Parts: sequence; C-alpha cells; structure tokens
Amino acid sequence: MTIAQQVKTTLASLKSAQANLETFALSTQNKQAKQMYTQAAQTTQSVVDQLQQRVGQMEQQEPTYKGF
Amino acid sequence: MPDWISLLIRAIIAFTAMFVFAKLIGKRQLSQITFFEYIVGIAIGDMAAIITDDVRTPLYMGLVPMAAYTFLAIGLSWLALKSKRSRDFFEGKARVLIQDGKILEDNLKKERMSTDELLENLRSRNIFQVSDVEFAIMESSGTVNVLPKSDSQPLTPKLMGMQVAPKPEPQTVIMDGTIMDEGLSTIGFNRLWLKGELEKQGVALENVFLGQVDATGQLYLDLYDDKIKVPQPQALPLTYATLKKAQADLELYALATQDVRAKQAYEKEAGEVDRMIRELEPYLRRG
Repeated sequence: MTIAQQVKTTLASLKSAQANLETFALSTQNKQAKQMYTQAAQTTQSVVDQLQQRVGQMEQQEPTYKGF
Repeated sequence: MPDWISLLIRAIIAFTAMFVFAKLIGKRQLSQITFFEYIVGIAIGDMAAIITDDVRTPLYMGLVPMAAYTFLAIGLSWLALKSKRSRDFFEGKARVLIQDGKILEDNLKKERMSTDELLENLRSRNIFQVSDVEFAIMESSGTVNVLPKSDSQPLTPKLMGMQVAPKPEPQTVIMDGTIMDEGLSTIGFNRLWLKGELEKQGVALENVFLGQVDATGQLYLDLYDDKIKVPQPQALPLTYATLKKAQADLELYALATQDVRAKQAYEKEAGEVDRMIRELEPYLRRG
C-alpha cells in the first residue's frame, strides 16, 4: 500500500469515527455526555478536513495516486 | 346464622381493617422500623386475630382499639417529625459504639451489647478486625452501621483520580417479548428505533425475554433461547479503538514524510486527536 492509500484509509476510519460520535451525541440523554460527543465530533471533523487537504496535495504531486 | 359464617365474615372484616390500618401507618413500618413501631404493629395484628375469634363481643368493639393504636402511632410519628426533642424521646437516639477507632465500652454497656455481639455486627459488615473501623454507630432501629478507616474502604474511581462518565439508570424496554412504551419514551426513543436495533442484532421481538437500553442508547438483550449468542454492543469501544488507530497512523505519517510542512501538520493533527481521545476515554471506555 502506498502512503497515499494509507492516508486515505486513515481518513476513512476517522470519518467513520466522526459519524459514530455524532450518533452517540444524538442518542444520549445526558447533557454533559452530549456536549462531549458533539465537541469530539467537531474536532474529528476538523482533522478530517485537514487530512483531506493533504490527500489533495498528494494527488497533485503524484497524479498516479489519484482515485485510490 | 351458623357460627362458621359469622366467623368467616368477622375474619374478612378484621383482615380488611388490618390492611387499611397498615396502609395508614405507612410503608416506613417495615423498612426503618423503630422498636416501638414494631410493637405497635404486632399489637394491631394481635387485636385483629382476637376479634376474629371472639364471637361473643360485637365486632366494632374490637375495631375501636385497633383504630386507636393506629392513630396514636401516626400521631407519635407526626410529633417526632415536628420536633427534634420528641423525636429523640419517642424514636430513641443513635449511640456511638466506636469512635476514632476506639471502642466506647460505656456505650456498649448502656446498649447491653456484649463484645461478641459487637464483633458479630462488624463481621456482618465484612469487617473482621476492629482496627479497620473508624466509626461505628448503633441506630435507633438496632442495626449497627460502620465506617471503615479510609485505607480499608473499597477502591473507587474517585480515589484513583479516574474520571468516569455519569451513567443514569438503564430503562427496560422489552419484557417477555412485549415492548414497554413507558421505558422507551423515558429514555427518548420510539418503537421504530427499537425495531431497527432488533433487526441490526438479527433478533425477533418474540424471542426476547428482556431488553434494556442504557443512557448511551446501547441495547442489551436476553433471549428465551439461551443457545443463541447475542453480540454485546460494541459501538463505543469500537469507536475508541478506531480513534486510537487513526492517532497512531497520524504519528506514523509524521515520522515517515520528508515534507517539513506536512510533518508539522500531521504532528498537530495527531496531538489534537490524542487530546480528544483522552477527554473521551471516560465516556467510550468506562461509560
């Protein structure tokens, strides 16, 4: 697996974790836990965004990575 | 009227009267009974038995003293509620048996409690050595409550400096294969959600003996057929593991890349995720 592929895998698992956190935030009734999950989901989202940029850069530098 | 019919009628009336009076005195009677209340309860029961049996006296003659006992007992507990002094007088005071780890022999004598009895009471609280006790008190009901020394107390997350997520009580949503709407709505879900969850676990509603939902919305099931294994909900620990793995990956990329800017970016992201994992740990792992 090339680095770009690996980064994309990480990106995918982060996205899944982010979705899970949002589900937890919606399903819990406890206010404190809700806030915690929402905050974590936001942090994860920002990391996902940054990683997405990095993947974009990689694809520009090495067009052969594109699409993996 | 034959005797047995009048006896039957008397029994039913006395039984009903006893039930009503017991209700009036309240449920405190059973749980935190004081010695006096205990005796009052026995006396009322005894009177009910006597008036059933004694066919010669009219029934209402027996009901009057029963009612009198009941209302006196209620009156006394009302008085005790109103002032501290009458409370101490009627319900008795708690007496300290062990203080600062030292047995107070005089108080033991006043309660007419032998050393053996004291030790027995401590043992029933799982304490076999007097030196482990900081404080012990005999309540007015006669039970001995014990505070162990702080180094003999059970280990709690607070002592470990561990943060744990608050965990409200779980709700029972399925009993004997039927959906309990009350529990479901208390925890904020509906039948549609429950059916979806059951489908996810591949279980038919008729096959569920008991289903409980915890505060995070995880459904725990017990089936009639004990041979079928139900998967335990894994969403929380799984998310935790995913985040951990992503964090480790990010650190790996930071080490692997030659690009200085990318390295910094990866390191920053890894730090952010790490901080988040630390905050989430009590919720995802110990939730």
